[in-house]
Amino acid sequence: MDIAVVLCLILAGVSLCLSVLAWRRDTPLSWRFALPEPVEAEGDPRFDTVLDYTPEAGQAHSPGIVVEQDAFEILWFEGSAEAQSDVDIYAARFERTEGAWDNARTGPRLTRAELNAAMDPPQIVVTLGNTIENEAKAGGLWATVASIGGWAMASIVDVPEQGGAARKLNLSPFLGRSNLVKSPMVAYADGSMGLPAYFEMGSTYGVLARFDAQGRVRDTRRMSGMGKPIQPMIVPLSETRAVAFLRDFNLDMKLLLSRTEDGGQSWSRVEALEVFNPSSPVAALVLGEGRILLAMNDLEDAPNDLRLVLSEDETQSWRELTRFRGEGALRYPMLRRLSSGEIVLSYSKGNKQGVVVHVFNQAWVEA
Amino acid sequence: MTRLGSSFALAVLVAWCVQGVLGAVLAPLAAGLLGAAAGAAAMALTRRVLVGGAVALLAPFGVMLPSLALGAMAGRLGLDVVGFSQLELGVFWVGYTVFLLSAFGILREDLYRLGYAPVPVGIMVVVICLYAALSANWFLAAVVVLGQFFWVMKWGSSNWFDYVLHVLLWPVVVFALIF
Repeated sequence: MDIAVVLCLILAGVSLCLSVLAWRRDTPLSWRFALPEPVEAEGDPRFDTVLDYTPEAGQAHSPGIVVEQDAFEILWFEGSAEAQSDVDIYAARFERTEGAWDNARTGPRLTRAELNAAMDPPQIVVTLGNTIENEAKAGGLWATVASIGGWAMASIVDVPEQGGAARKLNLSPFLGRSNLVKSPMVAYADGSMGLPAYFEMGSTYGVLARFDAQGRVRDTRRMSGMGKPIQPMIVPLSETRAVAFLRDFNLDMKLLLSRTEDGGQSWSRVEALEVFNPSSPVAALVLGEGRILLAMNDLEDAPNDLRLVLSEDETQSWRELTRFRGEGALRYPMLRRLSSGEIVLSYSKGNKQGVVVHVFNQAWVEA
Repeated sequence: MTRLGSSFALAVLVAWCVQGVLGAVLAPLAAGLLGAAAGAAAMALTRRVLVGGAVALLAPFGVMLPSLALGAMAGRLGLDVVGFSQLELGVFWVGYTVFLLSAFGILREDLYRLGYAPVPVGIMVVVICLYAALSANWFLAAVVVLGQFFWVMKWGSSNWFDYVLHVLLWPVVVFALIF
Protein backbone atom coordinates (compact mmCIF):
# COMPACT_ATOMS: atom_id res chain seq x y z
CA MET A 1 0.00 0.00 0.00
CA ASP A 2 1.20 3.50 -0.87
CA ILE A 3 2.73 5.25 2.13
CA ALA A 4 0.54 8.30 1.46
CA VAL A 5 -2.57 6.13 1.73
CA VAL A 6 -1.34 4.61 4.98
CA LEU A 7 -0.64 8.07 6.35
CA CYS A 8 -4.16 9.24 5.42
CA LEU A 9 -5.71 6.23 7.17
CA ILE A 10 -3.59 6.85 10.29
CA LEU A 11 -4.75 10.49 10.25
CA ALA A 12 -8.35 9.30 9.95
CA GLY A 13 -7.77 7.25 13.10
CA VAL A 14 -6.28 10.25 14.87
CA SER A 15 -9.32 12.24 13.81
CA LEU A 16 -11.66 9.65 15.32
CA CYS A 17 -9.78 9.90 18.64
CA LEU A 18 -10.01 13.70 18.52
CA SER A 19 -13.73 13.45 17.77
CA VAL A 20 -14.30 11.22 20.78
CA LEU A 21 -12.36 13.67 22.97
CA ALA A 22 -14.35 16.65 21.63
CA TRP A 23 -17.67 14.80 22.02
CA ARG A 24 -16.90 13.78 25.62
CA ARG A 25 -15.88 17.33 26.59
CA ASP A 26 -18.90 18.90 24.93
CA THR A 27 -21.82 19.87 27.14
CA PRO A 28 -25.14 19.93 25.27
CA LEU A 29 -26.82 23.32 25.32
CA SER A 30 -30.03 23.83 27.24
CA TRP A 31 -32.74 25.44 25.13
CA ARG A 32 -35.08 26.45 27.95
CA PHE A 33 -35.36 30.14 28.72
CA ALA A 34 -35.15 31.42 32.28
CA LEU A 35 -38.13 33.54 33.20
CA PRO A 36 -37.78 36.29 35.80
CA GLU A 37 -39.75 36.13 39.00
CA PRO A 38 -42.50 38.78 39.04
CA VAL A 39 -41.57 41.80 41.16
CA GLU A 40 -44.19 42.97 43.64
CA ALA A 41 -45.04 46.65 43.60
CA GLU A 42 -43.87 48.19 46.86
CA GLY A 43 -43.99 51.75 48.16
CA ASP A 44 -44.98 54.85 46.28
CA PRO A 45 -44.63 55.13 42.52
CA ARG A 46 -41.23 56.60 41.66
CA PHE A 47 -39.87 57.83 38.36
CA ASP A 48 -36.57 59.71 38.36
CA THR A 49 -34.34 61.08 35.63
CA VAL A 50 -30.85 60.29 36.87
CA LEU A 51 -28.84 61.38 33.83
CA ASP A 52 -29.31 63.88 31.03
CA TYR A 53 -25.88 63.97 29.42
CA THR A 54 -24.67 66.07 26.53
CA PRO A 55 -21.01 65.89 25.50
CA GLU A 56 -19.06 69.11 25.15
CA ALA A 57 -18.59 68.31 21.46
CA GLY A 58 -19.46 65.54 19.06
CA GLN A 59 -21.85 62.67 19.56
CA ALA A 60 -22.83 60.34 22.40
CA HIS A 61 -25.02 57.45 21.31
CA SER A 62 -26.30 53.92 21.90
CA PRO A 63 -26.39 53.62 25.69
CA GLY A 64 -26.08 50.18 27.22
CA ILE A 65 -26.78 49.23 30.83
CA VAL A 66 -24.44 47.22 33.08
CA VAL A 67 -26.16 45.88 36.20
CA GLU A 68 -24.18 45.25 39.39
CA GLN A 69 -25.18 44.50 42.95
CA ASP A 70 -26.38 47.86 44.36
CA ALA A 71 -24.97 49.79 41.41
CA PHE A 72 -25.29 50.18 37.67
CA GLU A 73 -23.38 51.71 34.80
CA ILE A 74 -24.53 53.34 31.59
CA LEU A 75 -22.14 52.84 28.66
CA TRP A 76 -22.22 54.75 25.39
CA PHE A 77 -19.89 55.52 22.52
CA GLU A 78 -18.65 59.09 22.25
CA GLY A 79 -16.48 60.97 19.77
CA SER A 80 -16.60 63.54 17.00
CA ALA A 81 -19.12 61.35 15.12
CA GLU A 82 -20.19 57.74 14.84
CA ALA A 83 -17.60 55.39 13.29
CA GLN A 84 -14.81 57.98 13.50
CA SER A 85 -11.35 57.11 14.74
CA ASP A 86 -11.71 59.18 17.94
CA VAL A 87 -14.64 57.24 19.39
CA ASP A 88 -14.24 55.61 22.81
CA ILE A 89 -16.68 54.02 25.24
CA TYR A 90 -17.75 56.33 28.05
CA ALA A 91 -19.67 55.43 31.19
CA ALA A 92 -21.66 56.98 34.01
CA ARG A 93 -21.62 54.92 37.20
CA PHE A 94 -24.50 55.09 39.65
CA GLU A 95 -24.41 54.02 43.29
CA ARG A 96 -27.19 54.21 45.83
CA THR A 97 -26.64 56.96 48.38
CA GLU A 98 -29.24 57.67 51.06
CA GLY A 99 -32.00 56.03 49.05
CA ALA A 100 -31.24 57.81 45.78
CA TRP A 101 -29.12 56.89 42.77
CA ASP A 102 -26.01 59.04 42.77
CA ASN A 103 -23.84 59.52 39.69
CA ALA A 104 -20.52 58.49 41.23
CA ARG A 105 -18.43 59.27 38.14
CA THR A 106 -18.65 59.87 34.43
CA GLY A 107 -15.80 59.43 31.96
CA PRO A 108 -13.99 57.10 29.58
CA ARG A 109 -14.61 53.41 30.36
CA LEU A 110 -12.98 51.59 27.43
CA THR A 111 -10.65 53.31 25.02
CA ARG A 112 -9.39 52.17 21.63
CA ALA A 113 -5.83 52.24 23.01
CA GLU A 114 -6.77 49.94 25.90
CA LEU A 115 -8.51 47.54 23.58
CA ASN A 116 -5.60 47.69 21.14
CA ALA A 117 -3.31 46.54 23.93
CA ALA A 118 -5.69 43.78 25.05
CA MET A 119 -6.51 42.22 21.67
CA ASP A 120 -5.35 38.64 21.16
CA PRO A 121 -4.07 38.19 18.49
CA PRO A 122 -2.64 41.75 18.42
CA GLN A 123 -4.49 43.94 15.96
CA ILE A 124 -5.55 47.52 15.54
CA VAL A 125 -8.86 48.93 16.76
CA VAL A 126 -10.00 51.91 14.72
CA THR A 127 -13.38 52.69 16.23
CA LEU A 128 -15.92 51.40 18.74
CA GLY A 129 -19.68 51.09 18.53
CA ASN A 130 -22.59 49.52 20.42
CA THR A 131 -21.29 48.06 23.67
CA ILE A 132 -23.29 45.98 26.14
CA GLU A 133 -22.72 43.96 29.28
CA ASN A 134 -21.48 40.39 28.98
CA GLU A 135 -23.83 39.08 31.64
CA ALA A 136 -22.13 35.68 31.63
CA LYS A 137 -18.79 37.08 32.80
CA ALA A 138 -18.29 39.39 35.79
CA GLY A 139 -16.98 42.73 34.58
CA GLY A 140 -17.16 41.61 30.96
CA LEU A 141 -18.43 43.56 27.97
CA TRP A 142 -19.35 42.83 24.36
CA ALA A 143 -18.00 45.62 22.18
CA THR A 144 -18.70 46.27 18.52
CA VAL A 145 -15.28 46.94 17.02
CA ALA A 146 -14.23 48.08 13.56
CA SER A 147 -10.58 47.59 12.67
CA ILE A 148 -11.02 48.36 9.01
CA GLY A 149 -13.94 49.70 6.93
CA GLY A 150 -17.33 50.66 8.34
CA TRP A 151 -19.88 48.80 10.46
CA ALA A 152 -20.27 46.15 7.76
CA MET A 153 -16.70 45.11 8.57
CA ALA A 154 -17.24 45.18 12.34
CA SER A 155 -16.75 42.29 14.73
CA ILE A 156 -17.97 41.55 18.24
CA VAL A 157 -15.17 41.52 20.79
CA ASP A 158 -15.33 39.73 24.14
CA VAL A 159 -13.79 42.34 26.47
CA PRO A 160 -12.87 40.87 29.85
CA GLU A 161 -12.17 42.73 33.05
CA GLN A 162 -9.02 44.84 33.01
CA GLY A 163 -5.91 42.75 32.40
CA GLY A 164 -7.47 39.93 30.38
CA ALA A 165 -7.14 39.18 26.69
CA ALA A 166 -9.87 40.53 24.41
CA ARG A 167 -10.93 38.24 21.55
CA LYS A 168 -13.18 38.54 18.54
CA LEU A 169 -16.11 36.16 18.46
CA ASN A 170 -16.02 33.57 15.70
CA LEU A 171 -19.42 34.17 14.12
CA SER A 172 -18.67 34.31 10.41
CA PRO A 173 -16.36 32.62 7.91
CA PHE A 174 -15.89 35.90 6.07
CA LEU A 175 -12.85 37.22 7.97
CA GLY A 176 -14.85 37.00 11.20
CA ARG A 177 -17.20 39.72 9.97
CA SER A 178 -19.82 41.31 9.91
CA ASN A 179 -21.39 40.98 13.36
CA LEU A 180 -22.61 43.58 15.81
CA VAL A 181 -24.47 43.72 19.13
CA LYS A 182 -27.15 46.03 20.47
CA SER A 183 -29.61 44.26 22.79
CA PRO A 184 -29.06 42.65 26.21
CA MET A 185 -28.36 38.93 26.55
CA VAL A 186 -31.12 36.40 27.10
CA ALA A 187 -30.96 34.05 30.10
CA TYR A 188 -31.39 30.27 29.94
CA ALA A 189 -32.64 28.00 32.72
CA ASP A 190 -29.25 26.28 33.12
CA GLY A 191 -27.62 29.62 33.98
CA SER A 192 -26.07 30.13 30.55
CA MET A 193 -26.75 33.16 28.38
CA GLY A 194 -27.51 33.76 24.72
CA LEU A 195 -26.29 36.80 22.83
CA PRO A 196 -28.58 38.50 20.31
CA ALA A 197 -26.37 39.75 17.48
CA TYR A 198 -26.82 40.63 13.83
CA PHE A 199 -25.08 40.38 10.48
CA GLU A 200 -25.13 43.40 8.17
CA MET A 201 -22.92 43.05 5.13
CA GLY A 202 -25.19 43.54 2.15
CA SER A 203 -27.83 41.10 3.32
CA THR A 204 -28.81 41.16 6.99
CA TYR A 205 -30.15 38.74 9.57
CA GLY A 206 -30.48 38.40 13.31
CA VAL A 207 -28.39 35.87 15.20
CA LEU A 208 -28.75 34.15 18.55
CA ALA A 209 -25.26 33.07 19.65
CA ARG A 210 -24.81 30.45 22.37
CA PHE A 211 -21.59 29.77 24.27
CA ASP A 212 -19.74 26.91 25.91
CA ALA A 213 -18.46 26.98 29.48
CA GLN A 214 -15.33 28.87 28.38
CA GLY A 215 -17.37 31.59 26.70
CA ARG A 216 -16.52 30.42 23.15
CA VAL A 217 -19.24 30.38 20.52
CA ARG A 218 -20.84 26.90 20.55
CA ASP A 219 -23.84 27.47 18.28
CA THR A 220 -25.74 30.11 16.36
CA ARG A 221 -29.31 30.35 15.12
CA ARG A 222 -30.61 32.81 12.55
CA MET A 223 -33.61 35.09 12.23
CA SER A 224 -34.08 35.95 8.58
CA GLY A 225 -36.90 36.75 6.21
CA MET A 226 -38.75 39.91 5.28
CA GLY A 227 -36.96 43.24 4.96
CA LYS A 228 -33.46 43.71 6.32
CA PRO A 229 -33.76 42.52 9.92
CA ILE A 230 -31.11 43.68 12.41
CA GLN A 231 -30.77 44.36 16.15
CA PRO A 232 -32.94 41.54 17.53
CA MET A 233 -34.48 42.15 20.95
CA ILE A 234 -35.41 38.72 22.31
CA VAL A 235 -38.34 38.49 24.74
CA PRO A 236 -38.93 35.08 26.39
CA LEU A 237 -42.63 34.36 26.98
CA SER A 238 -42.23 30.88 28.46
CA GLU A 239 -39.45 28.31 28.83
CA THR A 240 -39.68 27.53 25.12
CA ARG A 241 -41.55 30.42 23.50
CA ALA A 242 -40.10 33.82 22.71
CA VAL A 243 -40.51 36.66 20.27
CA ALA A 244 -37.72 38.72 18.77
CA PHE A 245 -38.46 42.29 17.73
CA LEU A 246 -36.15 43.41 14.95
CA ARG A 247 -35.39 46.73 13.33
CA ASP A 248 -35.83 46.88 9.57
CA PHE A 249 -32.65 48.35 8.06
CA ASN A 250 -34.77 49.11 5.00
CA LEU A 251 -36.96 52.16 5.35
CA ASP A 252 -40.23 50.23 5.09
CA MET A 253 -41.29 51.82 8.38
CA LYS A 254 -42.52 48.61 10.01
CA LEU A 255 -41.36 46.78 13.09
CA LEU A 256 -40.24 43.22 12.34
CA LEU A 257 -40.92 40.09 14.39
CA SER A 258 -39.73 36.50 14.56
CA ARG A 259 -40.96 33.75 16.94
CA THR A 260 -39.49 30.63 18.43
CA GLU A 261 -41.35 27.69 19.98
CA ASP A 262 -38.27 25.63 20.89
CA GLY A 263 -36.16 27.87 23.09
CA GLY A 264 -34.43 29.65 20.22
CA GLN A 265 -33.31 26.58 18.23
CA SER A 266 -35.41 27.67 15.27
CA TRP A 267 -36.99 31.00 14.43
CA SER A 268 -39.97 31.71 12.22
CA ARG A 269 -39.47 33.68 9.04
CA VAL A 270 -39.16 37.36 9.98
CA GLU A 271 -42.40 39.21 9.25
CA ALA A 272 -43.53 42.82 9.41
CA LEU A 273 -45.93 43.84 12.16
CA GLU A 274 -48.61 46.44 11.64
CA VAL A 275 -46.61 48.65 13.97
CA PHE A 276 -44.93 51.79 12.66
CA ASN A 277 -41.17 51.94 13.15
CA PRO A 278 -38.75 54.47 11.62
CA SER A 279 -35.91 51.90 11.31
CA SER A 280 -35.21 52.16 15.00
CA PRO A 281 -34.38 49.43 17.54
CA VAL A 282 -36.77 48.65 20.37
CA ALA A 283 -36.05 47.71 23.98
CA ALA A 284 -38.07 45.20 25.99
CA LEU A 285 -38.15 43.84 29.51
CA VAL A 286 -40.06 40.80 30.71
CA LEU A 287 -41.94 41.60 33.92
CA GLY A 288 -43.34 38.08 34.44
CA GLU A 289 -46.86 36.63 34.21
CA GLY A 290 -47.18 37.63 30.54
CA ARG A 291 -46.33 41.26 31.12
CA ILE A 292 -43.78 42.96 28.87
CA LEU A 293 -42.46 46.48 28.97
CA LEU A 294 -41.44 47.95 25.63
CA ALA A 295 -39.75 51.20 24.63
CA MET A 296 -40.17 52.06 20.96
CA ASN A 297 -40.66 54.78 18.35
CA ASP A 298 -44.05 53.67 17.03
CA LEU A 299 -45.85 56.95 16.31
CA GLU A 300 -46.12 57.66 12.62
CA ASP A 301 -46.93 61.33 13.21
CA ALA A 302 -44.12 61.68 15.78
CA PRO A 303 -41.36 59.18 14.86
CA ASN A 304 -38.81 60.92 17.05
CA ASP A 305 -40.88 60.43 20.20
CA LEU A 306 -40.17 57.39 22.34
CA ARG A 307 -43.07 55.61 23.98
CA LEU A 308 -42.91 53.33 27.00
CA VAL A 309 -45.74 50.82 26.67
CA LEU A 310 -46.90 47.81 28.67
CA SER A 311 -48.45 44.60 27.41
CA GLU A 312 -50.24 42.36 29.90
CA ASP A 313 -51.20 39.70 27.35
CA GLU A 314 -47.88 38.61 25.77
CA THR A 315 -47.70 41.40 23.14
CA GLN A 316 -51.33 41.13 21.95
CA SER A 317 -52.21 44.64 23.16
CA TRP A 318 -50.33 47.60 24.57
CA ARG A 319 -51.12 50.57 26.78
CA GLU A 320 -48.98 53.67 27.01
CA LEU A 321 -47.22 54.39 30.29
CA THR A 322 -45.48 57.54 29.17
CA ARG A 323 -44.19 59.32 26.11
CA PHE A 324 -40.81 61.02 25.88
CA ARG A 325 -40.35 64.03 23.64
CA GLY A 326 -37.27 66.08 22.91
CA GLU A 327 -35.37 67.97 20.27
CA GLY A 328 -34.36 65.55 17.57
CA ALA A 329 -34.81 61.81 17.63
CA LEU A 330 -34.91 59.74 20.82
CA ARG A 331 -33.44 56.41 19.79
CA TYR A 332 -31.63 53.23 20.85
CA PRO A 333 -33.51 52.48 24.07
CA MET A 334 -32.39 49.82 26.51
CA LEU A 335 -34.30 48.45 29.51
CA ARG A 336 -32.79 46.43 32.37
CA ARG A 337 -33.98 45.35 35.81
CA LEU A 338 -31.73 46.32 38.74
CA SER A 339 -30.95 44.09 41.72
CA SER A 340 -33.20 46.40 43.79
CA GLY A 341 -36.17 45.54 41.55
CA GLU A 342 -36.18 48.98 39.96
CA ILE A 343 -36.09 49.37 36.19
CA VAL A 344 -33.59 51.46 34.21
CA LEU A 345 -34.45 52.95 30.84
CA SER A 346 -31.71 54.58 28.78
CA TYR A 347 -31.81 56.08 25.30
CA SER A 348 -29.95 58.56 23.15
CA LYS A 349 -31.37 62.00 22.52
CA GLY A 350 -31.23 64.72 19.89
CA ASN A 351 -29.99 62.63 16.96
CA LYS A 352 -27.12 61.00 18.86
CA GLN A 353 -26.26 64.18 20.74
CA GLY A 354 -26.49 62.76 24.25
CA VAL A 355 -27.83 60.17 26.65
CA VAL A 356 -30.83 60.15 28.98
CA VAL A 357 -31.39 57.68 31.83
CA HIS A 358 -34.53 57.15 33.91
CA VAL A 359 -35.04 54.87 36.91
CA PHE A 360 -38.53 53.84 37.99
CA ASN A 361 -40.12 51.22 40.18
CA GLN A 362 -42.77 48.54 39.75
CA ALA A 363 -45.34 50.68 41.56
CA TRP A 364 -44.92 53.37 38.88
CA VAL A 365 -45.46 50.76 36.14
CA GLU A 366 -48.66 49.57 37.80
CA ALA A 367 -49.96 53.00 38.78
CA MET B 1 -1.29 30.27 21.23
CA THR B 2 -3.65 32.48 19.23
CA ARG B 3 -1.07 35.25 19.26
CA LEU B 4 1.80 32.95 18.23
CA GLY B 5 -0.24 31.12 15.62
CA SER B 6 -1.50 34.31 13.99
CA SER B 7 1.98 35.83 13.93
CA PHE B 8 3.42 32.69 12.35
CA ALA B 9 0.63 32.46 9.78
CA LEU B 10 1.05 36.10 8.80
CA ALA B 11 4.82 35.62 8.54
CA VAL B 12 4.31 32.66 6.19
CA LEU B 13 1.91 34.65 3.99
CA VAL B 14 4.28 37.62 3.86
CA ALA B 15 7.19 35.32 3.01
CA TRP B 16 5.11 33.61 0.30
CA CYS B 17 4.13 36.95 -1.29
CA VAL B 18 7.67 38.36 -1.15
CA GLN B 19 9.15 35.15 -2.54
CA GLY B 20 6.58 35.17 -5.33
CA VAL B 21 7.30 38.76 -6.34
CA LEU B 22 11.09 38.58 -6.04
CA GLY B 23 11.12 35.18 -7.72
CA ALA B 24 10.51 36.95 -11.01
CA VAL B 25 13.90 38.67 -10.85
CA LEU B 26 16.00 36.62 -8.39
CA ALA B 27 17.07 33.01 -8.09
CA PRO B 28 14.54 30.85 -6.13
CA LEU B 29 16.84 30.44 -3.13
CA ALA B 30 17.61 34.18 -2.87
CA ALA B 31 13.91 35.03 -3.23
CA GLY B 32 13.07 32.43 -0.59
CA LEU B 33 15.62 33.82 1.86
CA LEU B 34 14.42 37.39 1.38
CA GLY B 35 10.83 36.18 1.79
CA ALA B 36 11.76 34.45 5.04
CA ALA B 37 13.43 37.66 6.25
CA ALA B 38 10.29 39.67 5.43
CA GLY B 39 8.16 37.11 7.26
CA ALA B 40 10.40 37.30 10.31
CA ALA B 41 10.12 41.09 10.26
CA ALA B 42 6.32 40.81 10.18
CA MET B 43 6.44 38.56 13.25
CA ALA B 44 8.58 41.08 15.10
CA LEU B 45 6.31 44.04 14.34
CA THR B 46 2.95 42.72 15.54
CA ARG B 47 2.07 45.98 17.29
CA ARG B 48 2.76 48.19 14.25
CA VAL B 49 -0.22 49.57 12.34
CA LEU B 50 0.51 47.76 9.07
CA VAL B 51 0.95 44.35 10.68
CA GLY B 52 -1.85 44.93 13.20
CA GLY B 53 -4.10 45.99 10.34
CA ALA B 54 -3.25 42.85 8.37
CA VAL B 55 -4.03 40.64 11.38
CA ALA B 56 -7.26 42.57 12.02
CA LEU B 57 -8.28 42.06 8.41
CA LEU B 58 -7.21 38.46 7.82
CA ALA B 59 -7.31 36.59 11.17
CA PRO B 60 -8.21 33.88 11.90
CA PHE B 61 -5.73 32.51 9.35
CA GLY B 62 -6.37 28.85 10.09
CA VAL B 63 -4.17 25.99 8.97
CA MET B 64 -4.98 25.53 5.29
CA LEU B 65 -3.93 28.96 3.97
CA PRO B 66 -0.45 29.05 5.57
CA SER B 67 0.04 25.35 4.73
CA LEU B 68 -0.72 26.00 1.06
CA ALA B 69 1.65 28.99 1.16
CA LEU B 70 4.40 26.84 2.68
CA GLY B 71 3.75 24.18 0.04
CA ALA B 72 3.95 26.75 -2.75
CA MET B 73 7.21 28.11 -1.35
CA ALA B 74 8.64 24.62 -1.13
CA GLY B 75 7.58 23.96 -4.70
CA ARG B 76 9.37 27.09 -5.90
CA LEU B 77 12.50 25.82 -4.17
CA GLY B 78 12.25 22.61 -6.19
CA LEU B 79 10.83 20.29 -3.51
CA ASP B 80 8.14 17.72 -4.29
CA VAL B 81 4.74 18.87 -3.01
CA VAL B 82 1.32 17.28 -3.23
CA GLY B 83 -0.98 19.25 -5.49
CA PHE B 84 -4.66 19.31 -6.40
CA SER B 85 -6.14 18.51 -9.80
CA GLN B 86 -8.12 21.10 -11.76
CA LEU B 87 -11.26 19.03 -11.14
CA GLU B 88 -10.64 19.01 -7.39
CA LEU B 89 -10.05 22.76 -7.38
CA GLY B 90 -13.20 23.35 -9.45
CA VAL B 91 -15.37 21.23 -7.15
CA PHE B 92 -13.88 22.95 -4.09
CA TRP B 93 -14.50 26.39 -5.60
CA VAL B 94 -18.16 25.63 -6.32
CA GLY B 95 -18.68 24.18 -2.84
CA TYR B 96 -16.89 27.06 -1.16
CA THR B 97 -18.94 29.59 -3.13
CA VAL B 98 -22.13 27.93 -1.85
CA PHE B 99 -20.68 28.01 1.67
CA LEU B 100 -19.96 31.75 1.43
CA LEU B 101 -23.43 32.45 -0.01
CA SER B 102 -24.82 30.67 3.04
CA ALA B 103 -22.66 32.82 5.32
CA PHE B 104 -23.98 35.96 3.67
CA GLY B 105 -27.54 34.88 4.30
CA ILE B 106 -28.30 34.50 0.59
CA LEU B 107 -29.02 30.84 1.30
CA ARG B 108 -31.29 30.32 4.30
CA GLU B 109 -29.37 27.29 5.60
CA ASP B 110 -26.43 28.17 7.84
CA LEU B 111 -23.61 25.77 6.92
CA TYR B 112 -20.96 27.53 9.04
CA ARG B 113 -22.71 26.58 12.30
CA LEU B 114 -21.89 22.91 11.62
CA GLY B 115 -18.29 23.80 12.44
CA TYR B 116 -19.08 24.43 16.12
CA ALA B 117 -20.32 20.89 16.89
CA PRO B 118 -18.15 17.80 17.52
CA VAL B 119 -20.22 15.23 15.59
CA PRO B 120 -20.55 17.10 12.25
CA VAL B 121 -16.89 18.13 12.44
CA GLY B 122 -15.82 14.55 13.17
CA ILE B 123 -17.83 13.23 10.22
CA MET B 124 -16.47 15.89 7.85
CA VAL B 125 -12.84 15.25 8.85
CA VAL B 126 -13.10 11.47 8.47
CA VAL B 127 -14.82 11.77 5.09
CA ILE B 128 -12.09 14.12 3.87
CA CYS B 129 -9.40 11.75 5.20
CA LEU B 130 -10.97 8.84 3.32
CA TYR B 131 -11.09 10.91 0.14
CA ALA B 132 -7.45 11.88 0.77
CA ALA B 133 -6.60 8.18 1.11
CA LEU B 134 -8.34 7.39 -2.18
CA SER B 135 -6.43 10.17 -3.94
CA ALA B 136 -3.20 9.55 -1.98
CA ASN B 137 -3.16 13.20 -0.87
CA TRP B 138 -1.61 13.11 2.61
CA PHE B 139 -1.35 16.92 2.62
CA LEU B 140 -5.13 17.33 2.59
CA ALA B 141 -5.61 14.79 5.39
CA ALA B 142 -2.83 16.37 7.46
CA VAL B 143 -4.32 19.86 7.17
CA VAL B 144 -7.88 18.89 8.14
CA VAL B 145 -6.71 16.77 11.08
CA LEU B 146 -4.27 19.45 12.25
CA GLY B 147 -7.18 21.90 12.06
CA GLN B 148 -9.30 19.52 14.11
CA PHE B 149 -6.48 19.16 16.65
CA PHE B 150 -6.19 22.96 17.11
CA TRP B 151 -9.98 23.18 17.31
CA VAL B 152 -10.24 20.46 19.98
CA MET B 153 -7.38 22.08 21.93
CA LYS B 154 -9.20 25.43 21.67
CA TRP B 155 -6.11 27.13 20.24
CA GLY B 156 -7.93 29.68 18.15
CA SER B 157 -11.39 29.84 16.63
CA SER B 158 -14.28 27.88 18.13
CA ASN B 159 -15.35 26.94 14.58
CA TRP B 160 -13.45 24.20 12.72
CA PHE B 161 -14.16 25.78 9.33
CA ASP B 162 -11.93 28.70 10.32
CA TYR B 163 -8.95 26.32 10.42
CA VAL B 164 -9.47 24.68 7.04
CA LEU B 165 -10.99 27.51 5.02
CA HIS B 166 -10.10 31.15 4.48
CA VAL B 167 -11.83 33.63 2.24
CA LEU B 168 -8.52 34.32 0.44
CA LEU B 169 -8.75 30.76 -0.89
CA TRP B 170 -11.60 31.87 -3.14
CA PRO B 171 -9.48 34.21 -5.34
CA VAL B 172 -6.42 31.98 -4.99
CA VAL B 173 -8.34 29.02 -6.44
CA VAL B 174 -9.76 31.19 -9.24
CA PHE B 175 -6.18 32.22 -10.07
CA ALA B 176 -5.02 28.58 -9.99
CA LEU B 177 -7.91 27.47 -12.22
CA ILE B 178 -7.24 30.17 -14.83
CA PHE B 179 -3.44 30.06 -14.86
